[in-house]
Amino acid sequence: MKAALTRVTAVAGKEFKHLQRDPRALATVLILPVLQLLLFAYAISFDVKNVPTVVLDQDNTPASRQYLQTYLSSEFFDVLGSANDLAQIDQLFDQNKVRIAVIVPSGFAHSLGLGEKAQVAVLTDGSEPTSAQLGQAYAIALNASYSQRVVVEWADRQGLDLAQAGEIEPRLRTWYNPEQKSSDFLIPGLMVVIIMIVTIQQTAVTLVREREQGTGEQMTVSPLRRGELMVGKLLPWTLLAFADMLVIALVGIWVFDLPLRGSLGFLAASSVVFVFSALGLGLIISAVASSLETANIVGLLIAFLPAFLLSGFAFPLESIPTPLQWLSYAFPGRYMVTISRGVFLKGAGFSELWPELAALAAYALVVLLASSLLYRKRST
Amino acid sequence: MNTDEALAVQATGLGRSFGQNRAVDAVYLTIPIGMIFGLLGPDGAGKSTLIRMLATVLTPDTGDATIFGHSVRRSPSRVIPRIGYMSQNFSMYPDLSVSENLNFFATLRGISRAERKPRAAALMSAMGLVEFADMRARNLSGGMKQKLMLAATLIHQPDLLLLDEPTTGVDPVSRREFWRILARLHREGKTVLVSTPYMDEAERCSYLAFLSDGRITHEGSPADIKTVVPGTLFELATPQPRAALSAVTGTPCVRSAHLFGDVVRVLWTGDSGGARELTSRLIDVGLSVTAVRPARVDMEAAFAFLSESERLNEVARQ
Repeated sequence: MKAALTRVTAVAGKEFKHLQRDPRALATVLILPVLQLLLFAYAISFDVKNVPTVVLDQDNTPASRQYLQTYLSSEFFDVLGSANDLAQIDQLFDQNKVRIAVIVPSGFAHSLGLGEKAQVAVLTDGSEPTSAQLGQAYAIALNASYSQRVVVEWADRQGLDLAQAGEIEPRLRTWYNPEQKSSDFLIPGLMVVIIMIVTIQQTAVTLVREREQGTGEQMTVSPLRRGELMVGKLLPWTLLAFADMLVIALVGIWVFDLPLRGSLGFLAASSVVFVFSALGLGLIISAVASSLETANIVGLLIAFLPAFLLSGFAFPLESIPTPLQWLSYAFPGRYMVTISRGVFLKGAGFSELWPELAALAAYALVVLLASSLLYRKRST
Repeated sequence: MNTDEALAVQATGLGRSFGQNRAVDAVYLTIPIGMIFGLLGPDGAGKSTLIRMLATVLTPDTGDATIFGHSVRRSPSRVIPRIGYMSQNFSMYPDLSVSENLNFFATLRGISRAERKPRAAALMSAMGLVEFADMRARNLSGGMKQKLMLAATLIHQPDLLLLDEPTTGVDPVSRREFWRILARLHREGKTVLVSTPYMDEAERCSYLAFLSDGRITHEGSPADIKTVVPGTLFELATPQPRAALSAVTGTPCVRSAHLFGDVVRVLWTGDSGGARELTSRLIDVGLSVTAVRPARVDMEAAFAFLSESERLNEVARQ
């Protein structure tokens, strides 16, 4: 056991020396993440304001006008005017003049008067998914708060106390990010994406390099076991990636006013497990890649595509095709994005997020085992 | 424990394929302790594959080999402490210094912290590497690189050295120095298996095996190997050696011919009068001949003959 520990430390120490003597790799690991964070957080913004909107009031009652007033007073919608009929709305969409149309059908006031659910149609321009999606969300939120008010008013008139209805409003606020700040939503996910990119790319080449240098063979003729080699290779990177996560989190908190509502300890522990699984994924690439170039390219692909598309960082996983949703379970990103957002934004901890943590832990174990098995297969 | 403990290497039917290519077919090999065993053979004969199997780096797909009685297939962990393996290509970390490389491999080999430094120091001084201790391995000269690798191979004091063309691409002075070190290790009781493309190095081995197409076709002491060469060896001195080579190749009684420096070496299997006959053949095609003299069969000639006859056998089989 002690001998194994000595060997693992020897490998880890050697990796540190490699890194220390490779300024490019060092910069990639220490400076790039922060640069990426600043770049992404400033450049990518899902903040949507003043979406051009048209309204069509077919009911034309005080109630319907009052309802549409909520759109006029919202910062999100920029109501350009009223349409005369549906055909005109169609035309405005085609000319790209509006992205959202709100139609209040006749009978709106009548339904409200009866205490029934009133129908309102909100049309969104699907060719611009972000504003469409957000437009929908906002419209639903507006509707909800409006109908809440109608219900409350109606209930008041009836002399009933509907305290329950009033509770819904603060929940809507949190959900829909009332300050309309996307960095809160982005940075916890971005942190995961950046770590994935940095770590996978670095470890993807590490075993291939040993093989190409012939040093892998020298290790084979030594008591070093493959598992020890893998752990030794991962230790320095785990440490560095962990430091990266810390820096990104601090920059997020200090520069972007990211709230940290949950436990830092839980986040840190999850980060270590996540880093291990991302590194293990890199090791698998490294174990099977035939050359440094292959490892680099595959590393790049595996690091970037799933990190961006399959982690839920930018696109909600529910909105991607089902086969891709299944595929997303094969990459550690999605679990960690959930954990990270949960801890930062919702104040969630172990009791809510243990399934994700367990999945990550299992993932780390499987990729580490797989990488050492695959490496053995290649070298003999 | 095994009764074969007295043998450094014993291979029985050892073989390995890479896809369709049978790199090593069925090698039978016995190396007693204390020998410098030379492995010869043309490129692609399977020398590296054979050595890598003995070093437990590559798993054989047929047969087995024992190193000091331990099977390379079943108990590689018992073999590994007894052997030092030096691969054909440079296999140290180029970005680590000489002493860092030695220290790393010493640690992997399980040498205690207290002993690592003195051992590395002793090896570096034996190899003349002391002044390069802090130099990055990538900046070493070819000969220095080989010596660093040999030092790393020796760090755990193995009993058997498996050296795969350790001096290929190294200048003659460094080669001679490398062999002086090998001779010293041999005197200290180490067994050495070394493959080499240099025939002067083959002469320095105590026993040789000639590998061709994955099989050992000839073996014996350097003197034995030379006796397999039939006929008389002539050296033709001529101003146009290349033209002379193609003029005599394939003519009757010429078993093989090759360039040796600026002379043409011809193995003559006809009766006496070969010198006269060869001269007239060259003059017939308009080439001038400075001298034709019989030469002593050396390893170079034996190697050329063995490679050539194996090639001819191969052609005959097809």
